[in-house]
Amino acid sequence: MSLVSGPGRGGVAAGLPQELSLYMDKHVSYIQSLDRRKDEREYWLTEHLRLSGLYWGLTALHLLGHPDALPRSQVIEFVLSCLHENGGFGAAPGHDSHMLYTVSGVQILATLDAFDELEARVQGGRLKIGQLVDIAGLQDAETGTFAGDEWGERDTRFLYGAFNALSLLGLLHLINVDKAVGHIQSCANFDGGYGTSPGAESHSGQVFTCLAALTIAGRLDLVDQDKLGAWLSERQLKNGGLNGRPEKKEDVCYSWWVFSSLAMLNKQHWIDGDKLANFILQCQDPQMGGFSDRPGDMVDVFHTCFGLAGLSLLKFPGLIEVDAVYCMPRAVTKRCLSK
Amino acid sequence: MASHGIARSAGSGVRSEAARRIELQQIETYKDLVGLVNTKVAERQYTVEVLALTTKLLTENPEYYTIWNHRRRILQKLLSDTAPDEPKFTSDQFIEQLITDDLQLTYKLLRGFPKCYWIWNHRNWILRNGEALLDAPTSRKLWLGELQLVSKMLQADNRNFHAWGYRRFVVAELQRLTQADEVPPEGPSLTESEFEYTTKMVNTNLSNFSAWHNRSKLIPRLLDERKADDTARRKLFDDELSLVCSAINTDPFDQSIWYYHQFLMSTLSPDCPRQSQIVLSHSNQDRGSYYEHEMEYIRDILEDETDCKWIYEALLTIACSYLEVSVGTNPFTTSDMHDWLEALQRLDPLRKGRWDDWRRSLNL
Repeated sequence: MSLVSGPGRGGVAAGLPQELSLYMDKHVSYIQSLDRRKDEREYWLTEHLRLSGLYWGLTALHLLGHPDALPRSQVIEFVLSCLHENGGFGAAPGHDSHMLYTVSGVQILATLDAFDELEARVQGGRLKIGQLVDIAGLQDAETGTFAGDEWGERDTRFLYGAFNALSLLGLLHLINVDKAVGHIQSCANFDGGYGTSPGAESHSGQVFTCLAALTIAGRLDLVDQDKLGAWLSERQLKNGGLNGRPEKKEDVCYSWWVFSSLAMLNKQHWIDGDKLANFILQCQDPQMGGFSDRPGDMVDVFHTCFGLAGLSLLKFPGLIEVDAVYCMPRAVTKRCLSK
Repeated sequence: MASHGIARSAGSGVRSEAARRIELQQIETYKDLVGLVNTKVAERQYTVEVLALTTKLLTENPEYYTIWNHRRRILQKLLSDTAPDEPKFTSDQFIEQLITDDLQLTYKLLRGFPKCYWIWNHRNWILRNGEALLDAPTSRKLWLGELQLVSKMLQADNRNFHAWGYRRFVVAELQRLTQADEVPPEGPSLTESEFEYTTKMVNTNLSNFSAWHNRSKLIPRLLDERKADDTARRKLFDDELSLVCSAINTDPFDQSIWYYHQFLMSTLSPDCPRQSQIVLSHSNQDRGSYYEHEMEYIRDILEDETDCKWIYEALLTIACSYLEVSVGTNPFTTSDMHDWLEALQRLDPLRKGRWDDWRRSLNL
């Protein structure tokens, strides 16, 4: 069970629907169809994204209220086939382990409530994922930040990944949280935002990772909330869509990075939610299902997940509640974090 | 990562049977190459030939991160071989050749995939690893070449944040190398030339916030390096203010410029951290007169541009800062603040909730 992550084929260059509604059934069948595209080159060229693709697809289905639309046992089977001896997950069988896919692997297992299956199949599996190379071993002892893998690329994305996966596994104590929090603070800029590393420009994706990590650590007191909220609110453009940085174009995935950040700061009302919902709905493919970055573009499972997550956070009728910090169903994170 | 900006019509329609057959053939060829590389690497055949196979595969799919890892496994082996089986090279030449080959490959790929994390990361890796094996002048030459590469990338897309991040990294590496050298470098320091670079970039395009941002990080360092005294610091601060004020006058609707103005104003605050400060010795009197001066300038622009919300936001923000240091008689009234907030609510309904919250917190 694995889903293609690349752009969709078959979307018709149709005009936008007259009345903007959410094509729930179309999105379910679009995601289901992603496993059946092995005769397309794109399926093979995006194998390096497979496990994240599965997380995006599964999360979207859960938010759509169709948690069983993908066969659970086959999903678990595929996820575990990506697990390495070192405790990390690769994007697909035969792909090296990396923080990005380790987080996706843990998120999928958490969503499916499958940590017990993990333990049954891999003895001490949870601790192994947490303890070995891929998460706790990747923290930079000097700066507190995290590498993505043994080859050393460092970025606040990986720091958030570690916080996300370890907190779901109940193993946050394995890392030096204070040191990591200090590193996040050193990435803060005058505009209240955060970059990939100290000195880097504020970027909505990075703001999400830093804010979510601080939320998990219970340290939102360190954030200049009014300044950051103001900066985030200025990401909304006239058409309702959100961009990632000043003077850039809007994109559905920022409906998630920006709006979830505003939610963590309790400032959702600092932008126009109706206009944002309207923009996201315009990015649907009304015939084939799925969401694209902007109206009329090719759809893919990445934008489908973040479009739906944005709508869920906007409390769009019919969708299951999403957790702003984890981008997973709220019921799932409640279950994991209460353990 | 995902498809950005590809029109839906581009992929529409059903494939003809012939097109489908061609695509299936392409898939087979691609999968064969993947299989071959994975087999050879599993057999630890870390050779120049297998390196060439990874080149071929990465050229087809530069997002395939595991193949970059394989490439590094092969390179680690080849770089540590003291007696290469390539007789035409000496060992040093062989190492330099391997490194420059990878720089060329990644450059070629970056032009097609300028936002691919894995390519930038590999470039960084090859240079860091090369540095340990090459003599100091050679590796310095390579790092200097990186500045030219980044400039080319930023010419193609002046907001590419990978390129800006890499640029800061390269500068830090070069500065580290310089510090390690016994001989002081000739010519101006890199902080100076980087500052000049941001001047060039903002002069080309005022809305390049990436350049403004970098400038905000460079200035405090520049002044420390120059060991600037109070007069020099004040001069630079005033120059920056007049640069950004004339930019505001040119295009008051551009948020990049306003953010830089906010940065300059934020350095006046008593809470500004040392590493971001420009002038180190502001008294509240100074602050007050800067705030007054800025308000006067911005109010002048208001006469021609009554519909620009950034003007009202700036006036209100500066008014709040002014009240915090509270010196002398306010150059504005509560009724002015009330009017500015009204204007924000009228001109910018998208952020209505934010203006409402602000009104409440100011008791207006």
